[in-house]
Amino acid sequence: MRALWAGNPWAVVQRGLLAARSSSWIVVLSGFFEPVFYLASMGIGLGALIGDVQTSGGVDVPYAAFIAPALLAVSAMNGAVYDSTWNVFFKLNYGKLYEGMLSTSLGPLDVALGEMLYALLRGLLYATGFLIIMQVLGLNLAPTAILAIPAVLLIAFGFASLGMAVTSYMKTFQHMDWINFVLLPMFLFSSTLYPITVYPEVVQWVVKAFPLWHGVELIRGFTTGVMSPDMGWHILYYVVMIAVGLVFTTKRMRALFLD
Amino acid sequence: MTTPSDPQAPQPQTAVAENPSLAQLRAEAMQWGRKPRRFGGWYVTEHMVRAMRAYGWTIVIGALGQPVLYLLGMAVGLAALIDAPITDRGQQVDYLVFVAPALLMTAAIAVASEEFTYPVMAGFKWRRYFYGFSASPIASAQIAAGVVAGAAARMVVTVVLYYLFLWLFGAVPDPATGWLSIFAGLAAGLAFGIPVMAYAASIEDDKGQFALVQRFIFMPMFLFSGTFYPLSELPGWLQWIGWISPLWHATELGRAATYGDGVPPMLAVHVAYLLVLALGGWFLGRHYFERRLAR
Repeated sequence: MRALWAGNPWAVVQRGLLAARSSSWIVVLSGFFEPVFYLASMGIGLGALIGDVQTSGGVDVPYAAFIAPALLAVSAMNGAVYDSTWNVFFKLNYGKLYEGMLSTSLGPLDVALGEMLYALLRGLLYATGFLIIMQVLGLNLAPTAILAIPAVLLIAFGFASLGMAVTSYMKTFQHMDWINFVLLPMFLFSSTLYPITVYPEVVQWVVKAFPLWHGVELIRGFTTGVMSPDMGWHILYYVVMIAVGLVFTTKRMRALFLD
Repeated sequence: MTTPSDPQAPQPQTAVAENPSLAQLRAEAMQWGRKPRRFGGWYVTEHMVRAMRAYGWTIVIGALGQPVLYLLGMAVGLAALIDAPITDRGQQVDYLVFVAPALLMTAAIAVASEEFTYPVMAGFKWRRYFYGFSASPIASAQIAAGVVAGAAARMVVTVVLYYLFLWLFGAVPDPATGWLSIFAGLAAGLAFGIPVMAYAASIEDDKGQFALVQRFIFMPMFLFSGTFYPLSELPGWLQWIGWISPLWHATELGRAATYGDGVPPMLAVHVAYLLVLALGGWFLGRHYFERRLAR
């Protein structure tokens, strides 16, 4: 264990924050606007065409209140995936950053956890901002909406953890494009813009196997206040995802740099 | 490409001269430069298209996969929520038929936002191949033209495939004029892309400007151009985004072609606007190419 873990992932986070200071903060900040634009466009325009929508909890909510929690989950996913793939890929293959880190007392688990915690900080920033907008627009239908913040962190952690493991296998920039081919259908089909019930049951099971659906359901449960024991399963899904990703990433970092 | 052994090519007369005079040497140099000077833009196009082969599969899968995904998402998914048909230009159409042209235009513009940004930056700064072209008899304007033609080639592939999918999905009620939306798609991509190319050519340092273009120009344009619902559903203070957006003008043309009755009332306005954007972008872009390559 000593070879894997020095108990200091915070050093990696601090390095990320220092590096962020010298790069363009506008680009970092701009990520916040993507879900906001989506909410404005779909909420105003489609909301007028669609009216109320039934959630999986069986209640009718306005269309904007239906998609807002889903957009929050999507932005948590996108943020975490971009941070843990594009950024990590560059540091891994071009920046040669991890070689330097691993030649200190830091172990691969410190590096993996540190990179993920840094990604989570960004996710926390976006989620808080978006929830404030939802509050102002009256889209938070229950006080439990505040629980969406830890839920976003859980989702981001899950995607970051798995994303970093997958990135360690990539060799060229073109491989990164394949990530979009996984993210786009997840975004379109995971009961983001319309309930999953429009699909035949077989398709529904496929959608339910993918992580984003669990995230959308979890956050939507909190913001609409319609809670169910099923939400425990959604949380468990992410806990397992985080664990698998961490083990995987640590192993890969070790194989790439220490063995 | 012409090689010296090519029997079709005019052989330089002075090649065998023992002691060539200055005039002869000049004539020889002019002779060899004639073809690149005339067709240089196409050499650049060839380079751009060959460079795309590095990610050829990504292009093909993207061009095939995206329409299927979006059509499934929109046609099966959203359409199930929107029971009433959309009323557009006085006629009622299914939701799928309504969104289809907008998705086609968006695909062309997405190609443009990819091909007119980083490859241009790479040509000037990272890999500097524009300077390589520029050291040959190829003129700066020809280099810019070659970049435009290369991107247009990829757009054509994307748009034609997209149109075929729309047609198979039954999203083209009027195939007799529907194929015209392919040209509208190309126009949309160029009207958006050429000004972006001009901007890309003017950037000296990459500080994430393209990410900002993506987030603050492409995204809002995609979301507020009457793509998913008629522009009139938006409040007045948001509709201007549609009016200045090449996506909206091209989509209107596409809708007229795929299901519209007769010639749209503002046909000339839409076409003229797209032309103005593309031509304006072209003059600006040529200026930046010439200025930067002359340094």
